[in-house]
Amino acid sequence: MFSLNVEKIREDFSILNKTINNKPIIYMDSACVTLKPKQVVEKINQYYNEFPACAGRSTHKLGKKVTEEVEQSRKTIQKFINAKKQEEIIFTRNTTEGINLIANSLGLEGKKVLGTSKEHNSNLLPWLNGNMKYDIVKDKDNDFNFEEFNEKIKNTKLVAMRHTSNLDGTTIPAKEIIKIAHENQALVLLDAAQSIPHKEVDVKKLDVDFLAFSGHKMLGPSGTGILYGKYDLLENLKTFMLGGETVFDSNYDSFKLEKPPEKFEAGLQNYAGIIGLAEAARYLTKIGKDKIEKHEIKLNNMITEELNKIPEIDILGPNVPESRSGIISFNIKNTDPHNVASMLDASNNIMVRSGAHCVHSWFNANKLKGSARASLYIYNTEEEADIFVKAVKDLVKIVK
Amino acid sequence: MICLIALIAFGILGIFSVSYRKLALEAFDCVFRRITLRKCESGLDQRLKSQITGKLMVKSPKLASKIYKNFEVISWIFTILMIASTIYSGYGIYNFLVHGNCNGPDSNALCIFDPLKKEEPETCSVAFQKTAELEAPEIGDSPSLGSLNSKITIIEFGCYTCQYTREAQETVEKVLKEYKGTMRFVYKSFPLPNHESSKNVAIAAECAKLSGKFWLYNSLLFNKDIKTDDKSLISYAKEANINITQFEQCLNSQEAIENVDIEFNQGIASGIYGTPTFFINNISLVGPQSFEEFTKIIKKELRK
Repeated sequence: MFSLNVEKIREDFSILNKTINNKPIIYMDSACVTLKPKQVVEKINQYYNEFPACAGRSTHKLGKKVTEEVEQSRKTIQKFINAKKQEEIIFTRNTTEGINLIANSLGLEGKKVLGTSKEHNSNLLPWLNGNMKYDIVKDKDNDFNFEEFNEKIKNTKLVAMRHTSNLDGTTIPAKEIIKIAHENQALVLLDAAQSIPHKEVDVKKLDVDFLAFSGHKMLGPSGTGILYGKYDLLENLKTFMLGGETVFDSNYDSFKLEKPPEKFEAGLQNYAGIIGLAEAARYLTKIGKDKIEKHEIKLNNMITEELNKIPEIDILGPNVPESRSGIISFNIKNTDPHNVASMLDASNNIMVRSGAHCVHSWFNANKLKGSARASLYIYNTEEEADIFVKAVKDLVKIVK
Repeated sequence: MICLIALIAFGILGIFSVSYRKLALEAFDCVFRRITLRKCESGLDQRLKSQITGKLMVKSPKLASKIYKNFEVISWIFTILMIASTIYSGYGIYNFLVHGNCNGPDSNALCIFDPLKKEEPETCSVAFQKTAELEAPEIGDSPSLGSLNSKITIIEFGCYTCQYTREAQETVEKVLKEYKGTMRFVYKSFPLPNHESSKNVAIAAECAKLSGKFWLYNSLLFNKDIKTDDKSLISYAKEANINITQFEQCLNSQEAIENVDIEFNQGIASGIYGTPTFFINNISLVGPQSFEEFTKIIKKELRK
């Protein structure tokens, strides 16, 4: 009663009914991009078929309809992360854009920014590229190192950390981190790209200042994302990009900015994407994030238990599946991770990612070339987990 | 070394499809780096290795394992084979351009560049298969062109209603023209039993021979869209200035029928299993052949 009805969910994903070389697709690359349910695709099509007009500008019927749908979408996302008000929701293209917006608007020049050792390039490069003092807190035995954090938080202006790592699936204790950061007058930006799709994230409970995530990792369309910010902070942020709909008025020598969120949403927006993203949020809410998390951990347990029996396999991160969400990042001794991914694809249509997963910094520091990464989601089944394990075992026999 | 094979394969495919061009470039980069004793950076070789072994993994894990572990050696073997076959192909092209046959001046083996030559020469076959080695017959009373003392004698067994005999006629005429004065040419009728009117036409040609107008009549039969009814055969005779009364009597004569049967039986005795079949001295050629093929054998015989 409390578990996920995976078979019913799979009916919503038409791609899963297709075969390649007479074999079904086993999609385990959801940490990169998730598949899209028909409800999301239909919602996107609805925009193009029924009201393909401008929002917030035109007063005609179609214009009003798009405005209504976009604002309804903003409200849906507000509820989805339990923000205080919908004006705290800024539509972006993806997590990267949200983080770059903060990096360019918060006035961090010469200020200290603190991250972790497992940041995606999206939450590393903006800080390295700016004129800021960047530092990291390294994990201690795969746990967040509070001792080091407490030392480094002093004089920090912004804590910019990933909530859940796309590398090994570990999640930082965000609530405690935020509390300590606030006690030290530091703001906190969470990269929630890998946590929002898989677990409950409540911005009020976390008391996080900024939070960025992407649509394409949570069943939504590509090119969509959200930046959440506390309203008073957003009001005081400088603008990053200016253009249509970001100002009340302009003259040849001046302009008057709109209030948040409009002042951050320059140019014509991806309305179809925004509406589709909201539909994805509704879809996930209907299923229940707690069920999603439990389902992923159950499958991860099955896989980890079997892979742990193979001495040639090294799983990155903690050995406890509960700490790794739906991610199994692994290496086979003396085997290029790209070869592993390619062979799984060629043999059984098992689609996993390989390489550095945009966390080059961690792999370089640990002198590793990369890893193969299976990332699970709501549509993955126990049968698929078994096939994956068998394929990896066969693969090990071949390469060892 | 798999990249060298990939470069050629993807290079050719890239002519037709843009999706292969990037792979061809990757393969080129890989080959270039290997030639300059550096490591292939594109990873194409590894991708090909894992794709091949991945596909085999499901069907035969043992074979997949062997290929995975010895991939470089196997790649080298295939690369050497490819280079050897490329050289051999180049040699064949050279032979074809210089000698008209890709196997060299003295070979009678298959050459795929020759548009007329087939592995199993196309002939109008008789109802039975080849049973014996082909052997040149006696010339007998069959019509012939050229001197009796010629060093080369070509005997053709042909059937006027056979498309391959007709197809070969152009080459025959070219050979006759080219080697006029140095060879003797003999035509023997081999009317195919499974062709309804073939014997009637052969008898008509025999009657033309008895009238001393064989070669003119023969030429008319080959150079027209042949009709095999009596009326047409008589009209060709008129065109060849043959006495029509004698010709009509001959068409029903026992002598003409017997003469045709004699040549047919000679053909059977010679092992003919389809038309056209040529004997250049004692060397047989089955099916329509190229001028170059005739030339090659004639030259060889002349050198003897």
